[in-house]
Amino acid sequence: MAQVVAAALTSHAPLVTGKPEVTRPDMRDRLYAGFAELRRRLDAARPDLIVMFVNDHLQNFPYSNMPAFCVGLADSYDAPSAGGAKLMRLTPRTLAGHPAWGAALLEAGLERGAVDFAYSYEMDPWDELAVPLSFLMPEATVPIVPIYTNCAAPPLPTMRRCHAMGGFVGDFIRSRASSERVALIATGGISHWVGTPQTGRINPDWDHWVLDHIARADLEPLLALSHAEIERDGGNGGQEIRNWMGVLGAVPGWKGDALAYEPVAEWITGCATVWVHA
Amino acid sequence: MIAVSYALNKVLTAVAREHTMKDRLTDEDLAGHAVTDAERAALKDGDIDALYELGANPYLIRRVFRSRFRI
Repeated sequence: MAQVVAAALTSHAPLVTGKPEVTRPDMRDRLYAGFAELRRRLDAARPDLIVMFVNDHLQNFPYSNMPAFCVGLADSYDAPSAGGAKLMRLTPRTLAGHPAWGAALLEAGLERGAVDFAYSYEMDPWDELAVPLSFLMPEATVPIVPIYTNCAAPPLPTMRRCHAMGGFVGDFIRSRASSERVALIATGGISHWVGTPQTGRINPDWDHWVLDHIARADLEPLLALSHAEIERDGGNGGQEIRNWMGVLGAVPGWKGDALAYEPVAEWITGCATVWVHA
Repeated sequence: MIAVSYALNKVLTAVAREHTMKDRLTDEDLAGHAVTDAERAALKDGDIDALYELGANPYLIRRVFRSRFRI
């Protein structure tokens, strides 16, 4: 039977790799150490596949066609592309996809009446894949299937719906007869304000509140959050914790240990790395 | 419901896809787009706060008018 062998939550921001020199070195080093420890644990779990719970930033989906949930069916993903690599100061590279796995998830969601995913055969990933995976999978050894959740163009799927979507993904994995070992990684959040009049604000108190609930697997207060409440306390970037709810929904009862948390003003993001375990 | 201006976001998406950052948009950028007078003024002034209030997506505002932000 297929199984979930690892689960992690991280932030993503282009400046994490794009402008490492502008931060306080101690904050940066603690965050990088958190990524390094996540990578060590991920490697030890020996996954055959990584399902990435991520979000678009309007580079793929325009307002003429905006899916709530979209599964990637591409053969490969440029993460980062040549253009993105320059900004994120990474080497351009191509990550293998797993379209057959993605298609099986898509069809199961439709047939079981669980999740009506949109799907895409070609995606233009940005920092949501490239930055965290530059730390967590520097050798590009494991294929990925991305699940994009609308976190950037309201109205958004509710936190509870994102958790239920992840619940379906977890059930789908455990229903497979194969012996595949699946890792789940969500990226995004925690608090940050991007492009709004409050751009640059970070709310460490709220970030700690989020992390404390995840540490205890006490998700109900998070699932009850409205869009407006997240916008007020976590900013428009805070809406990305929907991706985190997806992973946590897939592994009921699992708890998340924050290996690092740094409110990095220069990267305008409350940055965390979280290991999720039974 | 969040205020959304489809016309504003359509213009900003088109400009963002050129991968060039702007300080302000020109009449050429706006040609063929059905924006209101207030939207047109905000785009031509590069007024990032006004664009937000008028229903432009903040990620698109950031991508197009990056130079207008202090941080």
